Amino acid sequence: MSTFSLIAVDLLVAFLCVVAWLGAAITAATGRGVAARILTASAVAVTLLRLAVVLALAGRGWWFVQDKVTLGLPLVGLAGAVAAGVLVTKGVAKAVVPLFAAGFSATVGLILPLLWGYPQNAGQAMISLSLVGVATVAAWRFTSSGPVRAGRLLAPAIALGVAGVGLGFLPLQQVSADSSAAPITTDVASLRGPSVPAPGGSVRRFELAAQKATVTLASGTRTEAWTYNKTSPGPEIAAVEGDLLEVTLTNVDIESGVTLHWHGYDVPNAEDGAPGVTQEAVLPGGRHVYRFLANQVGTYWYHTHQVSSEGVRKGLFGTLIVKPRAAVAEGADLVLPIHTFDGEVTLGTPERTVPSGEPVRLRVINTDNTPHRITLAGTDFRVTAADGNDLHEPGPVSGKALRLAAGARYDLSFTMPGNPVALLVDDGLSLSLNGAAVVADTSGWSELDLLSYGTPAPTPFGPGSRFDRDFTLVLDRGLAMVEGAPMFAHTVNGLGYPNIPSQVVREGDLVRFTVVNRGIETHPWHLHGHRVLVLGARGSPLWLDTFDVRPGEVWRVAFRASNPGMWMNHCHNLDHAEQGMVLHLAYEGVGSTMSHAAH
Amino acid sequence: MILAMRRVYVVIVGLLLASGALQFYFAAVGAFTKPQTDDSYSLHLINGRMVLPLLALLAIGAAALARAGGKLVGLTSLVLGLLVVQTLIIVLGNAIGGATEQRTTTLSLTILGLHAVNGIVIMGVASTVMRRARNLMAAK
Repeated sequence: MSTFSLIAVDLLVAFLCVVAWLGAAITAATGRGVAARILTASAVAVTLLRLAVVLALAGRGWWFVQDKVTLGLPLVGLAGAVAAGVLVTKGVAKAVVPLFAAGFSATVGLILPLLWGYPQNAGQAMISLSLVGVATVAAWRFTSSGPVRAGRLLAPAIALGVAGVGLGFLPLQQVSADSSAAPITTDVASLRGPSVPAPGGSVRRFELAAQKATVTLASGTRTEAWTYNKTSPGPEIAAVEGDLLEVTLTNVDIESGVTLHWHGYDVPNAEDGAPGVTQEAVLPGGRHVYRFLANQVGTYWYHTHQVSSEGVRKGLFGTLIVKPRAAVAEGADLVLPIHTFDGEVTLGTPERTVPSGEPVRLRVINTDNTPHRITLAGTDFRVTAADGNDLHEPGPVSGKALRLAAGARYDLSFTMPGNPVALLVDDGLSLSLNGAAVVADTSGWSELDLLSYGTPAPTPFGPGSRFDRDFTLVLDRGLAMVEGAPMFAHTVNGLGYPNIPSQVVREGDLVRFTVVNRGIETHPWHLHGHRVLVLGARGSPLWLDTFDVRPGEVWRVAFRASNPGMWMNHCHNLDHAEQGMVLHLAYEGVGSTMSHAAH
Repeated sequence: MILAMRRVYVVIVGLLLASGALQFYFAAVGAFTKPQTDDSYSLHLINGRMVLPLLALLAIGAAALARAGGKLVGLTSLVLGLLVVQTLIIVLGNAIGGATEQRTTTLSLTILGLHAVNGIVIMGVASTVMRRARNLMAAK
């Protein structure tokens, strides 16, 4: 059973626990003794079942059960044991209040962790106890006819809650999570790219002007977009390995400002396009020049990083393709950025003609916030690269679907057969090669497991290496401060941007980080400036810059800290990033004078 | 004091019913919005996550202060409990049904459809609370 299924079962059992204990309390209070006894027995059984589920879940990682083990289960277990004990020894009438206490304990243990997420702290535990206390006192008052001494318990219960609020929520006011012990010796702005190409390479100059424009989609629909050079996707930036790319960005009329971030490209820090960290956003009338070496062959893309959620969605993106210097076989090389405009999934031209027998490379790029399902009908194919990095000995694939994370890329290669070939996105036809293919229903195809695809090859480090730094990021939802305002945020270790402590590394460190998704939404994790090696891949080594951490999943990845700077490390569902899920990877001694503006 | 509180109780439950009716309206707005985006249901989400639970909490407090009696306080609390169930239906429907971002399953839709049924139940319970709250106010 998957971890996410276990989480779901736990929620269901926790809910039944609430229903059973509260049901027992209400039937006891209204004098239905037999029903109260039956419900109490069921409540005990369901509580024991929950214990079993939590134990199973604990096997998947402490993060998934922390709130349940430290508070939720002990509370309902204790209150439930007392209630059942009283019912058996003193009868139904005496058990009413303890049964309510058990019901409220079960309720608090179910609901509050959903509200504040991981990790549950001491203050939140105190608030939980306080709420159970206050609710129990109220139930006591309402269910007894004569005068009761319940009121005496009210003051301590409320005091506990107030103390909990103080303890649990005041620390959220903390700022300046980026304080690093080492003195700042390098300013981010000084970490620029070179001004000459590698030997044999040439300088390639591009000019991108960010501006609003009306674009026409493949379906003929016209839509208002934010563009580079009045097209979306923007101009393709193409280079050959060793070239120097010099891209001049200007802003015509995007009031909120723009930048260029080279997604997956390990550029020098000052060329990274992270506003407020590596540069200030380019406002209308402004200009910024980016320079970096085209030293990674493969499929990449660029996009704005200023208010990126809105900017990318409206069209501020394009592709970056770098080909090897050595001549490669001619053939069809199609760049296919998938983007959803106004609900319509687009990827450039919907039809192409390719002579049969020619090699074909399809470069699919997910520029959306959520994953896409990619299927290819009419031929088998090889996944030759993931996130621009070649895979080792990729085998033929047919009748399998690929899951493409937000921001991620796959290169698919095959030889054009005599029959038509269709590329489907989310099982809907998106590209026909050589005419109208009889489109297969691919919706039943299972997913290709990239972790066991291809064959192993040596890597500079691996799961058994000794790591200099080890970080854990637990992703969840909960109440947190995000840029000074409280919200139901997307959190990392219970905090939102900019309060999440930076991961501080030293140049040369071997760094491992573990990403745990405790929530119910997928988080495509993206570290700037570094490709990470997925630890535990059983097939080809997997070097990725964006990986989908699905609900209940735990990913362990590693990288060598070899690109000094201040780097964003964030969820590439840009809506989630906007709601707090952003932190920084900071090299010791490197600092930014900028103001951490909106990403 | 208690008489005033009973009036306040009726007003809050009235607001709760109005907000509940609006919630159905916002669901329809979301369902008919084209193109469908994450923002299509934003009104439904804000009203459902913030306004309705807040009004339900206030109603429980008002019921207690109005000396509405254990049964009516319990019934008022049931509204809040059922609001939590609305969220649980979404979470469990997607998780148990094995739905993904692109694709729901028959099982997930079977569970998710209960969101509407439970919505009707909430309105029914809130209406009963309203009737009893008004009786309480009239009882003097």
